[in-house]
Amino acid sequence: MRQWFILFNKEMLEMARNFKWVWVPIAFILIGVMDPITTYYMPQILDSVGGLPEGTVIEMPTPPAPDILMMSIGQYNMFGVLIIVLITMGLIAGERKSGVAGIILVKPVSFSSYITAKWAGGLLLVWVSYFVGLLASWYYVGILFKWIPFGDFIQAFFTYGIWLSFVLTVTIFFNAFFRSPGVVGFASIATVIVLSLVSGSLSHLLEWSPAQIAGYTGEFLSTHSFPEAMLPTTLLAVGGIVFLLIGAILVFRKKELAA
Amino acid sequence: MEILESINWGILLPILVIQLILLVVAIIDLIRIEKTNGPKWLWVLLILFVNIIGPVLYFVIGRRNQ
Repeated sequence: MRQWFILFNKEMLEMARNFKWVWVPIAFILIGVMDPITTYYMPQILDSVGGLPEGTVIEMPTPPAPDILMMSIGQYNMFGVLIIVLITMGLIAGERKSGVAGIILVKPVSFSSYITAKWAGGLLLVWVSYFVGLLASWYYVGILFKWIPFGDFIQAFFTYGIWLSFVLTVTIFFNAFFRSPGVVGFASIATVIVLSLVSGSLSHLLEWSPAQIAGYTGEFLSTHSFPEAMLPTTLLAVGGIVFLLIGAILVFRKKELAA
Repeated sequence: MEILESINWGILLPILVIQLILLVVAIIDLIRIEKTNGPKWLWVLLILFVNIIGPVLYFVIGRRNQ
């Protein structure tokens, strides 16, 4: 356990040194806040862009507050996922390429603590960034439109966080497979996109797919109750995370011993 | 100019400040770092003129991992 904390602290130090602790939360805040603000200022934006004939009146109904928070989550589904893959794709692959992994692993460090420490470090960074980002979005929705109950926000936050953790774990898993960060990033993005597309188009067949979590979160925000499939979906996602992590450790052990 | 007055700056100011922090951190790091991926002057331009995405791109691919 002590060894694990040393590796974890090393992760934290590295993330502080390469400014991940600065730019990732800021990026999440900016992504989250963008939608409430542009929705709020849409009439002014249309005005200043112009091109509309004089006297045109556009009646724009204000969308309900939960929908706007959901828009922010939709942005995380795209840019948030992209950022997560970008910051995680070099986590192990980059160290193997540069030889740092070799330096660490000649010491009696277990493969499982090496991988799980990296996973936990990335997870902490993602959750903290995602929390401040969604909190900022919630706050702006509150002051510009209508306050969403904080309890709803927290529940939506945790549910959607499971999907982001799943994406992170997929990237860690591919890290164990490939040596080049670019290939890791590509494989992870491709997996997430395929999963989302397939679950989106066959949503009645794949009710339990983790990619449905974003949709279920939106359903919860507007109706205050989770669909029935939420529980099995959550269990499947958490099970998938554990499975991918164990798979990553096994693959990594095999590859490193062979190399 | 009335459009500028109609905007509530209390709402936008925090965001502009956050963007500025991101930009300043990226520039300071760019000055202190020895080598970047690609020419340094290009990164200066990207960070200064491409909003948000410039600094983020610099942190993701501009910093060379030694």
